[in-house]
Amino acid sequence: MKSINSLFSKVMILSLGIIFLLTPSVFSKKYDGVTVNILTMEAPQIKGPMVKRAPDFKKLTGANINVIGVPFSDIYPKMESDFATGTNSIDGAVFAPQWMVDFIEPGYFEDLTPRIKADAAIVWDDIGYFFRSFSSTYAGKVYTIPLDGDFHMIYYRTDLLEAAGIAPPTTWEEYTYIASRFHGQDMNGDGTPDYGSCISKKRNAQAYWMIHSIVGGFIQTKGTGQGVFFDTKTMKPLVNNAAFSRALDIYKETTKYAPADEINLDVGDTRGLWTSGRCALTLDWGDIGTLAIEKGSKVNGKTGASILPGSRLVLDRSSGELVPCNTARCPYAVNGVNHAPFAAFGGWSGAVNVSADSKVKDAAYDFFSFMAQAKQSNEDVTIGITGMNPYRVSQFESINNWTGAGFTKAAASNYLGAIKASLDSPNMILDLRVPKNQRYQQVVLDTEVHRFISGEISKEEAMERIEEGWEEITEEMGRDEQLSAYRNTLGY
Amino acid sequence: MWKILNKKKKYDDISYLEGSPIYLILGLWAFICLFPIYWVVITSFKEAYVVNDGPFYIPFVDFQPSLHAWEFVLMQESVNTLRPFYNTIIISIISALIAVFIGSMAGYALVRISYRPKIASIMCFLLLLAGSVFLIVKLKIDFRITLISSISIFVLFLLTLSRKFKSSLGNNDIGFWMISQRILPPVVVVIPIYIFFQQLGMLDTYPAMIITYVAINIPIVVWLMRDFFYNIPIDLEENAALDGASRFRIFTTIVLPLSKPGLSATFMLVLILCWNEYLLSLFISLTDTQTLPLMIASMNTTRGPQWWYMSVIIIIMIIPVTMVALFLYRFIVKGLLVGAIKG
Amino acid sequence: MSANISFEEKLDKQAPAVFIMPAVLIVLFFSIFPLIVSLFIALSRLKFIKGGVQLKFIGWLNFKKLLFGSQQYHFLGKFDQLTAIGFIILGLFVLAMILWLFRYIKSKHFNFLGIVGRVVIASGLFFLLLITLINLTTPKGLPGTLVVTLIYVVLGVLIQFLIGLGLALLCVKKIKGRSFFRLVFFIPMMITPVGIAYLFRMLTDMSKGPFSPIIMWLGYEEASWAVIPWGARIAVMIGDAWQWIPFMFIVLLAGLESLSSEQKEAAIMDGAGGWEIFRDITWPTLLPVSATIVLIRLIEAFKIIDLPNVMTNGGPGIATESLSLHSYFNWRTLDLSGSAAVGYLLMIVAVFVCLSFVNLLKNKVDLAHK
Repeated sequence: MKSINSLFSKVMILSLGIIFLLTPSVFSKKYDGVTVNILTMEAPQIKGPMVKRAPDFKKLTGANINVIGVPFSDIYPKMESDFATGTNSIDGAVFAPQWMVDFIEPGYFEDLTPRIKADAAIVWDDIGYFFRSFSSTYAGKVYTIPLDGDFHMIYYRTDLLEAAGIAPPTTWEEYTYIASRFHGQDMNGDGTPDYGSCISKKRNAQAYWMIHSIVGGFIQTKGTGQGVFFDTKTMKPLVNNAAFSRALDIYKETTKYAPADEINLDVGDTRGLWTSGRCALTLDWGDIGTLAIEKGSKVNGKTGASILPGSRLVLDRSSGELVPCNTARCPYAVNGVNHAPFAAFGGWSGAVNVSADSKVKDAAYDFFSFMAQAKQSNEDVTIGITGMNPYRVSQFESINNWTGAGFTKAAASNYLGAIKASLDSPNMILDLRVPKNQRYQQVVLDTEVHRFISGEISKEEAMERIEEGWEEITEEMGRDEQLSAYRNTLGY
Repeated sequence: MWKILNKKKKYDDISYLEGSPIYLILGLWAFICLFPIYWVVITSFKEAYVVNDGPFYIPFVDFQPSLHAWEFVLMQESVNTLRPFYNTIIISIISALIAVFIGSMAGYALVRISYRPKIASIMCFLLLLAGSVFLIVKLKIDFRITLISSISIFVLFLLTLSRKFKSSLGNNDIGFWMISQRILPPVVVVIPIYIFFQQLGMLDTYPAMIITYVAINIPIVVWLMRDFFYNIPIDLEENAALDGASRFRIFTTIVLPLSKPGLSATFMLVLILCWNEYLLSLFISLTDTQTLPLMIASMNTTRGPQWWYMSVIIIIMIIPVTMVALFLYRFIVKGLLVGAIKG
Repeated sequence: MSANISFEEKLDKQAPAVFIMPAVLIVLFFSIFPLIVSLFIALSRLKFIKGGVQLKFIGWLNFKKLLFGSQQYHFLGKFDQLTAIGFIILGLFVLAMILWLFRYIKSKHFNFLGIVGRVVIASGLFFLLLITLINLTTPKGLPGTLVVTLIYVVLGVLIQFLIGLGLALLCVKKIKGRSFFRLVFFIPMMITPVGIAYLFRMLTDMSKGPFSPIIMWLGYEEASWAVIPWGARIAVMIGDAWQWIPFMFIVLLAGLESLSSEQKEAAIMDGAGGWEIFRDITWPTLLPVSATIVLIRLIEAFKIIDLPNVMTNGGPGIATESLSLHSYFNWRTLDLSGSAAVGYLLMIVAVFVCLSFVNLLKNKVDLAHK
């Protein structure tokens, strides 16, 4: 009896021991005990999907993803002060890649190129060419992972245009014509007259991107590398010329066919107007497509999207005058019209703090990769509230995700078609990324354009002041440094 | 005409009939006060498309109320909302208590004790402070060394040379200097304070928030309490002093109880100021000490303001403060009354 | 026993210092220290480099830019030739200042410092008035953030005070439901400023706000308050007034209630009318309180930021941008030196206006005290 007992207990202890030894290797995960602090916007968008998927990531890898949210306008100062003062409480950030140069130059971000090369799961080539080659890179190295594809398109009421037999506008002249045509009609059946065009023009909001969506097609013709903000050889601002003048005219003209307080509307307001069916045309990011199919929307099935209108006349950079398009000047023109879709804002992307712990850095990168992988991302981009718009080629190919989310087949093809046309365009405009780009765009451009549109100053004066203001910042930062940074962003 | 109306009754008694124009005006103003609040409340019950479609005024009649915003803020985002709520309560109350305590001590001192700080000492102090900051920031000398040396130099100066200088400032100058500290816009002050706490490794901690809030609110406390303390008859205190009580005892056992109204009013005001503070909180906090005003600002996303969520948070923010105000209300009116007579 | 007493005595000797030092030290550190650091920042160019910040001393350049350089239109506004009305107003003001100075000299106690002080105040006010007139009354002049802030401060506080006073005078009458009104009027003050800003943005929305049917009925739907500079400013001031009138109201009401009816009745027996009662009895009592709360409001009003930020983001153009907002915009794009420079100028102007206010009223308040 005793011997059997002791044998039995020995076997028990042995098996328990083996199980115990095996357990760590079976149950321990790659990032057990690792906490990653990720800073982003405090909102249901972008933060929402990350918080939603953090538990799944934890199950897979054991890492604790702590998503910290701050108000949108405070992300930039918060990141800068955290990195610059050496606090380094932020391990990763999901932010506007437009700001990334301000963080790359002082060396705050981790170079992700080697990790991406080693990462098979992310399927880097599936990501749109523009996003992986321009939006995520600086001086040839990859610093951010795109989680969202942001660019401008125009949207039109399919029902109205079909009934009138008009094709969607391909030039800005056509846009204003259509706006004038429908302005004042009742478009949502409530008896009150509605608006031809709704574009957000509020100061210190998103208006400073709208103006470049308009002027882009006039200025950039030879591909993303040509740039739209400055001359790539001299860093001279491309704002005081015939093209910009024409764009300001168009910008002002659209106000005529818009709500009376349009210059005080931000995108939240214009999107609200669109979904209540009060606009015939609008200019916005991809969110309109997914918002249109939400509950209570009056324009479900009536929303069409199209690539940004372009121009038949383009800027001759040496003379500053507008000249007609030809195959030499506009190699990417479609039917004689040069389109330049504007990747305004750039699309929320994730970057990693170079000063974080190496395990934390790995975990942060893996999480971003996880969010960007087709399995997660293709679902997220179909849901409006995630704030994520398509940026992967595979996201266009399968319509099922979209119809499953509530799009009609026609609406999905139309929406995806417009996105694809924009993403495929070799002439996509990269948003301004040089250091202090916020000053160029928000402090100078936005203020002067708003003063122009509220009648405070004339068009000529506005253009002069923008040029002056931009030159001042360039001089202050060092012309050569800014030029070199600008060229780096464009892939030179 | 006044004579006729008022011969028979006290001046301010008014009958309903005569009062009707007054009622009209007061009623109008009450409506002006309450309507926006009503609007916020019903907006918190509206769906997104209802808000966008135009103004709807009455729930169940004009539009279908829904709890989606409340559910979102309190349930889904509860982790995000409850913690800031809790933080705001703790930080505001503690800061207000400490500020009122320290500030009233100072206010009392300014009223009863005559100070004569020498101008020379002040100049010396400022110069040393400027010098230390310069050394720390520009020349990157360790801040502990600079601080200790500056303080030693200052103490040395006080003990030796200061006797040579005679001209000095008075209580009123100290008072005005304190109050003028409120003039600085927070924006200017944020980054230095941020760097200060960062050097000490105290970012995102309760003590950092509390110290900051105490510091920016002490001036108001000093100012208001000074007025209240003026009105306490000095004989009471003199009698107690004759009986051998120390200043401190006089302060705690006689003066403070008599100024309960003033203390409540000031506490209420400082509480409101701390409760609603945005910029410094944005900077000093990261996750652990986030406060509610940040949540409101966060609801203004790149998608535009999410009015429905915002309304819920605004309501959540008003309720505790209103409750405290209701509680202290009787004290407040009486308190301001005592102070108001003498200004 | 004796050890305890002497310890208490020792403590008591230190009482003066103990009472005031905590407050002074805390305020000194948290106010002076950032003040000095900000001065450094305002006088240099801040650049973020790895491991910290780099401060390059550039002297007055930031201030020069605001006063004379490319940002002058932003800070001081656009200039134009003064018109007749402007000259008249200016002339009247100079006359008033001379009279004031004269009265001071003729009075018994004047000294050199007093004269210098008054001249400084007079010239400072003259300068501010000049800028305001140039910006507002000339055909092509446009106000910069300095004048916009002054509008918010002077006009705003004046209106708030008058309405608060009116309401308090009405509420002092013994009508039924007084306490209800008092409570209701107190509520707006408790909402956080950011909340109020969004609240008013909602209310003033032309399409979604509750007043849009009224606007449509009045036929104004083609216009928008947000597009007209003064319309936008008035909207901001309405929001500010809504929030702060309760403060004026509560304090003035308390002051009024301290007046006993007997004084007033005695005056009536003597044949005084309503206006005389107000002028001779009510107002002198209220003067000290009014001075205090107006001063408090002046100081806080200079810092107005949330309302213009949320309602109009400083627009149209720069019509509603206050100095604090100007500083904040700079700061947000990490132009810290520009932000500190504007902040300093704001502080100088605010201190100046508050000091002037205190000095102008000091005599009257002292008289009232007696």
